[in-house]
Amino acid sequence: MNTKIETRRVWDLPTRMFHWSLVASFLIAFLTSDSEKLRDVHVLAGYSLAGLITFRLLWGFVGGKYSRFADFLPTPQKLIDYLKSLLVGKPRHYVGHNPAGAVAIFLLLGFGAVAALSGWATYEEVGGHFMEELHETAANGMMALVVIHIVGVIVSSSLHRENLVLAMITGWKSKQGQDSAQADGGRS
Amino acid sequence: MRHLLIIAATLLATSAYADTPLDFLARYEKDAGSPASAERGARFFNMKHGDEWSCASCHTERPTQVGRHAKTDKPIKPLAPSANAERFTDAAKVDKWFRRNCNDTLNRACSAQEKADVIAWLLTLN
Repeated sequence: MNTKIETRRVWDLPTRMFHWSLVASFLIAFLTSDSEKLRDVHVLAGYSLAGLITFRLLWGFVGGKYSRFADFLPTPQKLIDYLKSLLVGKPRHYVGHNPAGAVAIFLLLGFGAVAALSGWATYEEVGGHFMEELHETAANGMMALVVIHIVGVIVSSSLHRENLVLAMITGWKSKQGQDSAQADGGRS
Repeated sequence: MRHLLIIAATLLATSAYADTPLDFLARYEKDAGSPASAERGARFFNMKHGDEWSCASCHTERPTQVGRHAKTDKPIKPLAPSANAERFTDAAKVDKWFRRNCNDTLNRACSAQEKADVIAWLLTLN
């Protein structure tokens, strides 16, 4: 095994800023969700979240290589193969998002968009009680996804022996191995 | 006599969820273990509880009229059942809004007695 560790920039700055800003806006919105006094803060956090998601949807087409949706579009087969490889302790390595992470991203973007839109509708009192229920369900679903996402990051980090949290802060990842997806001759 | 009827109705009810304001009143009185007082409810509703808001800050001192959100200025439908038949008819909503609003005004949950008192008072308003 090569002991020399090379690194490469994987996550571009806008993607990293998006990620941590989304964390902040979602946390603030979630923590202020039960308060009328903090209603302004909650609404502001919601608008921020909506703006961030809009940005990410655009960045998914024009951003850096690893930020583009085309780079990590998950298919059921890719996801199953990846999860299987985790189970047998030989995780397939992806330089960018692995298929499980990719599913989390798309679901989080989707739930986030629904939460923001239904939240706006509730605040503006269009759509009635249904929107209120949808808003709460979407936000709770998002929190559940966040928890799963964090567990996934911890598990993947330990199996791949790389610090994925640090990579999302600095943007750098060690250049270990090949991207499995590319290594097996375009199978996936 | 009215309370006896309410208690009888509650005991006969098969559903765990109340669906009229009187059902809620009976349920909270039962939980509190003592009858509600509309007079106490009126005082509770209109006083501040060590924080900047009272119930009346948003619902007004006369909750048969439209209220106004103390933060966003948005209108709030009347709270008194005589003015708004939807009030206190859905257990999930009642639980949710007591939880949220008691926290905003008292920084704690309301007791069953406090809820019973407030509903008893709201029911006297026409």
